[in-house]
Parts: sequence; C-alpha cells; structure tokens
Amino acid sequence: MEEIGKVPHWILHFGNYQMVFDKETLIMTWIVMAFWVLFALLATRETKIIPNPLQSAAELLIGTWDELVKDSLNLTDRRYFPFVTTVFLLFWISNMLGVIPFLSEPTKDLNTPLSLGVMGFFVAHYSGIKFKGFKAYIKGYFEPIFFMMPLNIIGELAKVVSISFRLFGNIMGGSIIILVVSYLVYSLVLPPFLNAFFGLFVGTIQAFVFAMLTLVYISVQIR
Amino acid sequence: MGISGEDLMRAAAFLGAGISMGLGAIGPGVGEGFVGGKACEAIGRNPEEAGLLTRTMLVAQAVSESTGIYSLVVALLLIFVV
Repeated sequence: MEEIGKVPHWILHFGNYQMVFDKETLIMTWIVMAFWVLFALLATRETKIIPNPLQSAAELLIGTWDELVKDSLNLTDRRYFPFVTTVFLLFWISNMLGVIPFLSEPTKDLNTPLSLGVMGFFVAHYSGIKFKGFKAYIKGYFEPIFFMMPLNIIGELAKVVSISFRLFGNIMGGSIIILVVSYLVYSLVLPPFLNAFFGLFVGTIQAFVFAMLTLVYISVQIR
Repeated sequence: MGISGEDLMRAAAFLGAGISMGLGAIGPGVGEGFVGGKACEAIGRNPEEAGLLTRTMLVAQAVSESTGIYSLVVALLLIFVV
C-alpha cells in the first residue's frame, strides 16, 4: 500500500537549477512508442492486396479513424487525421499497459494527459484563427453579448482542464481501486477481473473519448 | 491521550473526501444513465444508426462524467496531500 504516493525521480543539474523527471512515466512512454514503431514496421513490411493479419488490423484501425475524422470535420484533405489518430493510439496502449505486471500506465501521471490536452487546445485555436480569420475568431468570444467574454474565455480554459483531468482521474482512480481491492482480498480471485475492466475496457473508452473530444474541439473552432 | 489539531485536520480531510466522492457521484450517475437510456431508445427506433449513436453516447457520457472526475481528484488530493 505504500507505493501509492511514491514517485521515482531522475534529477538533472544545470548549475543552480535542476530538472526533475519522473522515471516511471518516461520509461513507460518509451515502451508505448517502441510498441507502435515495431507494430508499424511489422505491419508495413510487405504490403499486399491480400493482407496478412497484422496488415489488416492496421488497415482496420487507420481506416476507422480516417472515416471518423472525415465525418466530423468535413474537410477535403487529411490534415488533422494524423494528430487525432496518434493521440488515440498513444493513449490506448498507455491505458492498457497497467494490465501487464511490473509495468504501469504513463497516463497515471497528470503530466502526460495535460501536455497532450494543451497541445490539442493550441491546435484547435490555431486552426480556428487560420480557418475563420483573426477577426471572426475574436468575435466568437463576444457571442451572444459582449459582456459574456470572460465566461467564454474561462469556458475555453476549462476544456483543457476537464479533458486532461478526466483521463488522469479515470486511470489513477482505477489503479488505486485495483491496488486497494488486491490488498484487501490478498490478490485472490478479483484482481484479473478488475484489471480487465479498468485496464482494457475503461482504458479503451477513455482513449477514444480523449481523441474524439480533441476532434470535437477542433471541429467547433473551424466551422 | 488527547486529540491534537493534526488529528482533527486528518479526520476532517478524510470526511471531506468521503462527502466529496459521495455527493459528486450523484450527478454523473443520473446524467450517464439518462444519456444511455435515451441512446437505447434511439437505437430501438432506428437500429441501422447504432454505430453513430453509440459513438455520440460515449462522448456525451464522458462529458457528463467530468464533474464526477473532479470530485475524485478533490478526494484524492484530500487523502494524499492534506
């Protein structure tokens, strides 16, 4: 039970300043990235008309997201498709990583979802400025009446907080529940089912929701 | 053995965590159930749109879930930080 609050650190010193890295999060994120690089290499090694299982899995995954992005953005090109799909793929494997013993989810650290949430925020607002023009973008804040402006700004900032805290809270809460229940039942019978529910099911749903909400925020801005 | 101010603070933090989680779970429970029920009705009315409806339902449920997650974060902060 003691391991809940502990964070293993790497500390880099630059003169008087120091940078603190969370060791666990870094290593787990690199594991996720290595998994996807390996998957991409294996799936595209020999592409054929009649695909092997790995290639058809990759085609299914990418094709589904291509359809989703096309449906909700109504653009002719695929400029937001790589970003949204990458967010989904990264968080999908990240959330499911806790199922494997000795590994833990990088999304259990608030820094991971918050950084990608902030990234989605900037992408959405940059594309809003680019598509609508600066004047129309600013005018969007003064809808419906001009004194609603502070509320609109707070609403935009709250989107970042809500999207990242949702993923963090789900994964962190799930892993704490797994830990506490495993401790109570001496790791008998229950933990596999809890891992399947919180790791596989909730993890997939939350990764999907994160990517979909990023997509929705972008589509709200560009139309 | 008397009760010091430190103990009182811990007790209040744990109580606050429990109250925050218990009250904060009401809203998302009602909201998600409502969204799920409405989505079931809509799928029953036209089953060929099931994929789109399920997708929309998941996003809507996630949005209505966020207040529950806020209360979870507050409860975690009260337990582990205070």
